[in-house]
Amino acid sequence: MISVSGVTKAYRDGEVRRQVLRGVDLELAPGGTVAIVGPSGSGKSTLLNILGALDTADAGTVRIDGVDVSASRPAALAGFRNRSLGFVFQFHQLLPDFTAIENVIMPGRIAGRSAASLLADGLELLDQVGLRDRAADFPQQLSGGERQRVAICRALVLEPPVLLADEPTGNLDAASGEQVLELLAGLRRRRGTTMVLVTHNPEVARRCGSVLRLDGGRLTPA
Amino acid sequence: MGFVWHVALRYFRSTRADAHIRVLSSLTAGGLAVGTAALVLALAALSGFQNHLLTDLARHTPALQVELAGSGAGVPGEAAEEPAALVAWAAATNGVSAVQELLYARGWLAVGASVQQVEILGFEKAPPVWIPVGDRAARGLIVPIAVAQKLGLAVGETVRVFSPRPGLTPLGPRPRTRTLPVAGIYRSDRADYEELPVLLPLEEAAALFAGGDRRLDLTLEPEAEQELVAGFLRETVDPAKATVVGWREANRALLFVLRLEKSLVFSAVVLIVAVAAFALLASLSLVLSSKRSEVGALAAMGAPPARLQRIFLALGALLSVGGAGLGGALGAGVAAFLDRFRVISLPPDVYIVEYVPFLVRGSDVLIVVASTVVFTGAASLLSARRASRLDPVEAMRSART
Ligand SMILES: Nc1ncnc2c1ncn2[C@@H]1O[C@H](COP(=O)(O)OP(=O)(O)O)[C@@H](O)[C@H]1O
Ligand SMILES: [Mg+2]
Repeated sequence: MISVSGVTKAYRDGEVRRQVLRGVDLELAPGGTVAIVGPSGSGKSTLLNILGALDTADAGTVRIDGVDVSASRPAALAGFRNRSLGFVFQFHQLLPDFTAIENVIMPGRIAGRSAASLLADGLELLDQVGLRDRAADFPQQLSGGERQRVAICRALVLEPPVLLADEPTGNLDAASGEQVLELLAGLRRRRGTTMVLVTHNPEVARRCGSVLRLDGGRLTPA
Repeated sequence: MGFVWHVALRYFRSTRADAHIRVLSSLTAGGLAVGTAALVLALAALSGFQNHLLTDLARHTPALQVELAGSGAGVPGEAAEEPAALVAWAAATNGVSAVQELLYARGWLAVGASVQQVEILGFEKAPPVWIPVGDRAARGLIVPIAVAQKLGLAVGETVRVFSPRPGLTPLGPRPRTRTLPVAGIYRSDRADYEELPVLLPLEEAAALFAGGDRRLDLTLEPEAEQELVAGFLRETVDPAKATVVGWREANRALLFVLRLEKSLVFSAVVLIVAVAAFALLASLSLVLSSKRSEVGALAAMGAPPARLQRIFLALGALLSVGGAGLGGALGAGVAAFLDRFRVISLPPDVYIVEYVPFLVRGSDVLIVVASTVVFTGAASLLSARRASRLDPVEAMRSART
């Protein structure tokens, strides 16, 4: 399902070259889950962006769901991202001009579906994270944890075969975190979703099939 | 509602929330309103004037003219091409209601010791309609007021008319001359004549100026198609003998100037719209930079670049259509009002109308709409393309710092 080999990535900060990834390999079968841990600034978000075809690797190959992501330009992969990937960004990235429920169903609107056909699924998801009665609120009316949960619902609304989540429980208290983990587990049971979770939360890591540590530009078993 | 308009409408609503963007977008709408109103008004005023001018011109110019060749050969005694046959032929043509034969020449008027060179126009039957003489039955000289003043002429006095071509007499060549009474004096402020002619009946003119230029002025029946009649005449006449000229052709220079005038005024006023388009570009750029991370998130969720581009095109349309529509309607309304109630008056001795006429033409409005669309469309496209080229990772990173 996910097959990564020899991925390198460097950023140029003026004259300084920062080698963030130095040959990352990762194999994940369909339905598999992996937690990626590692110190801040080690390149976890960078790796996730490359997996999600938002960023390109300098070298190496990335295949997701049979698609060679590394060979195509990110813009050309828009449809693939919309259909096959669910993103939970490290910073929730909700759209402030849209209500919670409108944010949740946005990937479906991008896919060309009507709001009416998406509403029931969206409200059901919000219900599962305890935010059904906040559906009509705008993001600035929600707390940080509530926003994060709305963002997770948005990533799941089209029930994508692959979920890429960057610290999905980062802003959440234990109870909310538990709700989110239940949500993810349910999706995995129902749809066999493949998941890559970047996390600092040992509880999240414990529930994943494997835990990998990103440090010094390489992935190693934790 | 589709995704594109859904997002564009929300962004449009959010332009009300941010103070800077609100000022700029109000400026955009206001500028476009002023620009389109000014364009519609300016073109309506020009169309109104030109409409009056052309109606006046059409009234004073024969629908078709047939210029006869072979005259003006200048050989003394040689008769000009006999026009009678051509007159009969023109009069017999379907759609022609009247034919008037005219003769143009240069000659001299002499009163006592003063001599004046003048343009001579010989007319058949009555003076042509475009010469404003009171007494149409007058037989004799009809003199423009400028010439009458110069020579100190009054109605009833006699004048000697000389032809530049000598006549042959048994005593040798002698100047051809006739003494004629002044039958009328006319005043005309028509601008398309450099020199107003002295009129005299055709038979007198023909005797004096045998070699003058002859012309037939054709009046058409009201339902006759000018182009059809002209085409028929052109086909049947021997081009060596006569040329058929329509009034549009005869006034080609004037019509060209009118068109030129219109395009110059249009180019000047359209600058207001261009400036408003810059304001639109600024508003859209400001919206884009305040929405950078969100547009990045939309791209990350799989919105293709072309759809992102369309969001900003739609936003540009939302920001401009209201102002432009309001301005266009306002301009048309004000023009109609000014015309209906003749609000702006003009000194009557200077212009052909005593008020500024306005005429709102569909084609003019269409040109205004098209130019507004071109300018605002170009401005929208510029910022829309930037939206579509956004790197989602970069854009989302910008939100946290
Ligand atoms: N677009 C960029 N330009 C320059 N440096 C970047 C860019 N993106 C990330 N980095 C740098 O790469 C390193 C890894 O970043 P990131 O992947 O966000 O780390 P993590 O998510 O593990 O905290 C950091 O030092 C960060 O400053
Ligand atoms: Mg990170």
